[in-house]
Amino acid sequence: MPLPGPEGPVGRRSFLNWVLGTWAGGVLAAIGFPVIRYLTPPDVPESTTRFASGGQASTLLPNTFRIVPFGANPAIIVRQASGDLKAMSATCTHLSCTVQYRGDLGQIWCACHNGRYDLNGRNIAGPPPRPLESYDVSTRNDEIVISRRA
Amino acid sequence: MRRALWCTAAWACVVVARLGVVSAQTPMAPPLAPVSADQARAAFQNDVHKAAGLTCATCHDTAHGDQYVAPARTAIPKLCGTCHANAEYIKKFNPQLRVDQLARYVTSTHGKQNAKGETRVAVCSDCHGAHGILGVKDPRAPVYPTHVAETCGRCHSDPARMTPFNKPATPPAEWATSVHAKALLERGDVSAPTCSTCHGGHGATPPDVESVSLVCAQCHIREADLFRASSKKALFETISQPECVTCHSNHAIQHPQDAWVGFTDDTKCGKCHDESIPGADVIKTVRGDLDQLNAAITTAAARLDRAEEAGVSVDDGRAALREANDQRINARVMVHAFAAKPFTDVSTKGLQSAKLALADGDRALGEVRYRREGLAVASVFIFGFLVTLGIKIRRLDQARREPQKAKES
Amino acid sequence: MSALRDWIAERAPIAEIVEELEHKRVPQHRHDVFYYAGGVTLFFFVVQVVTGALLLMYYRPSAGEAYESVQFIMARVPFGWLIRSIHAWSANLMIGAAFVHLFSVLFLKSYRRPRELTWMSGVILLGLVLGFGFTGYLLPWNQLAFFATRVGTAIPSSTPVIGHGLMRLLRGGNDVTGGTLTRFFGVHVAILPGICTFLLAFHVLLVQRHGMSVPPAVAAASKASGRPVPSMPFLPDYMLRDLFGWTLAIGLVAALSAFLPWELGKKADLFAPAPAGIRPEWYFLWAFQTLKFVPARVLGLEGEFVASLAFGLGGAALFFLPLIDRNTETSRRIVTWLGAAALLYMIAMTALALRAGGGGPVP
Repeated sequence: MPLPGPEGPVGRRSFLNWVLGTWAGGVLAAIGFPVIRYLTPPDVPESTTRFASGGQASTLLPNTFRIVPFGANPAIIVRQASGDLKAMSATCTHLSCTVQYRGDLGQIWCACHNGRYDLNGRNIAGPPPRPLESYDVSTRNDEIVISRRA
Repeated sequence: MRRALWCTAAWACVVVARLGVVSAQTPMAPPLAPVSADQARAAFQNDVHKAAGLTCATCHDTAHGDQYVAPARTAIPKLCGTCHANAEYIKKFNPQLRVDQLARYVTSTHGKQNAKGETRVAVCSDCHGAHGILGVKDPRAPVYPTHVAETCGRCHSDPARMTPFNKPATPPAEWATSVHAKALLERGDVSAPTCSTCHGGHGATPPDVESVSLVCAQCHIREADLFRASSKKALFETISQPECVTCHSNHAIQHPQDAWVGFTDDTKCGKCHDESIPGADVIKTVRGDLDQLNAAITTAAARLDRAEEAGVSVDDGRAALREANDQRINARVMVHAFAAKPFTDVSTKGLQSAKLALADGDRALGEVRYRREGLAVASVFIFGFLVTLGIKIRRLDQARREPQKAKES
Repeated sequence: MSALRDWIAERAPIAEIVEELEHKRVPQHRHDVFYYAGGVTLFFFVVQVVTGALLLMYYRPSAGEAYESVQFIMARVPFGWLIRSIHAWSANLMIGAAFVHLFSVLFLKSYRRPRELTWMSGVILLGLVLGFGFTGYLLPWNQLAFFATRVGTAIPSSTPVIGHGLMRLLRGGNDVTGGTLTRFFGVHVAILPGICTFLLAFHVLLVQRHGMSVPPAVAAASKASGRPVPSMPFLPDYMLRDLFGWTLAIGLVAALSAFLPWELGKKADLFAPAPAGIRPEWYFLWAFQTLKFVPARVLGLEGEFVASLAFGLGGAALFFLPLIDRNTETSRRIVTWLGAAALLYMIAMTALALRAGGGGPVP
């Protein structure tokens, strides 16, 4: 649509439009870049509060354990001598120390005050007043996945 | 003649009754024991023995119908033991109930004194009550963990009762200031030790010098194992130092401080050692590492807080900080090895975790910087666009005005 | 190019629309800055739709996952913090712009014939926008949102006869639960957007049809002097200015998001006692404070119900304003004074509420 007004040296108006267009491109890029990055999937495709990875299954040997993050808190995964996997919260219910698995006892043990839990999380000796929350555990393509009991 | 006999008997009863009453009224009698028969009968309604079908006559000799006589203090343990030391009998009422209480009691200081005829020491009824006896698992019972210190304290805090035996009256008050008392009474943690936990209940005796660490080891097993494997155990026995109590005290146990490690007067090591001893470098290492770890954790925590306040989440950093805290607890346990390597193995891990936490905090703060830089870049584009757009609008307005001016002129 | 244009012109009325827009002119006078208000509100709405759609990629509308999914967006998704903060800030700015638009139209009397339907659809849109705010606030499922929703959804229960049923309808049950969350989510992302799109299209169409209204004083002055009200073409002059405003708006929202990111607070704990200082978002504070001042019983009825009734009557009066205002000078002056009184009342109540609670962006 033709506008009245002085044309001036050829292209002054079109130069302004070009500059405007360039800045506009910059603004659109400044908007588009975060949006495109947002849409690309993050490293972890979903939050780790319902499901969490327990690491590689084949490297967790019988009668050993592993501590992994589950949401904001640690979880303990134990591979029993029989090969079965057990998973539960690793926060001791006494004074919140992180528990471990004792292969010699076949029980979960808290080093702080000698508390003990069985592999179902039940508190069986020492100060702990409550059991450890049990988690469901399964393997998928050599990856251990733990999830909260529904 | 018969009248005389009756009078004598009556007189004898009264004397015996008075004796019973008097012995029940000696200054050593526990406040729990009611004095009048009516009070006793009323209290007995809540008694576990009544629920079990026992009556007043089971424990008391009768004298003239209603008049019951309180047993002599020196006779009470054996009286209670008639049933409670009889496994055959007790299992009719509660198969889980132990029957070694009397056996333990006679080994205790209370029991040994009682056997000699001393009435100023505790007998069964002093702690368990006489007529309103509740089961030991009942939270209202005077021997339930939360009440034990108070029960023992009735005698053991009273200088009038303790001085005749050359014992201090301070332990219960001292215990009340301890972390164990706080855990038990404020947090309701019934696993926390009270008097009977360390001294024994029925077999109450202060532990021997060599066995203190075994007592503490019931819960603090790692520290005790390390201590016993270290050079200190034999050494402390030689110089008659009561193991754990030497540094941690026995009743007024407070949270140990990292600052206890060192050579100055206010440290625990410094009480015996100075820098000239062969193990001085261990003390220096331990203290140095603990200080370093504390500083690292504090710095990391502050960094993470700052990052969170700026709006970036630091879950990984929090996890690493948690790990660092766990290792710090571990390191403080390893102090009891009194050797450098076991300690530094742990303290190094703690420092690594603290470093990871700090790194995550720094990453988060870097993210804050990145966001602001991104905003700056976007702002440059926006500003440039706005300025150029403003120019274009101004030009447009001028162009609009000019033909109008041309029309008007 | 022209071949393409011709091909489209045969099939879609694009050229006719552009032709209409080319003839549209925007009056220029001392109050013309307020003409931007509607466009700014629309701009923020578009930002909401875009950022909302993006958030939908990662948000999960269940009590067990909502909070965590927002956390995930803030922490793990690249620029998730930005999209979420923009969505939250832009929501508040949109509501603010909507109120500016409402009051400027009220004071400038732009609702007069033949723009009554524009006004009425606008009032409904305001209600819908407030509905967006109320339903969206719950979606992160944090403590303050949960309790504020509980308080907010309890108010209709004071209505006689239907009150309880109304509350159950809002809450999806007797109490605020995961069911409420799902319900609010459905309303927020499907029902309200659906109704809004239709109403907005209607509203904007009417604005184009009738053009920009000139305030009575300006029109009178123009008549007296014989000079026509100066105006500028909508395309490109006014459009460029609109664009200027919108770019400024996006810059503002970006700066707010970078320097004052929207907090998430703690996850909703249904069994915890209500934290101190529960209050709704700022745009409901004036109503919240009014409810606090109303006595427990008024004329034998529950105080809350009477206040709700008053709000309802006020809303109805607002809706029917073009029909109530006789369009005489006196009538218009009354409307101005009433409008000013209402605005002052809302500001005063908001200030009182903020002073009582503490103020600041509420997580």
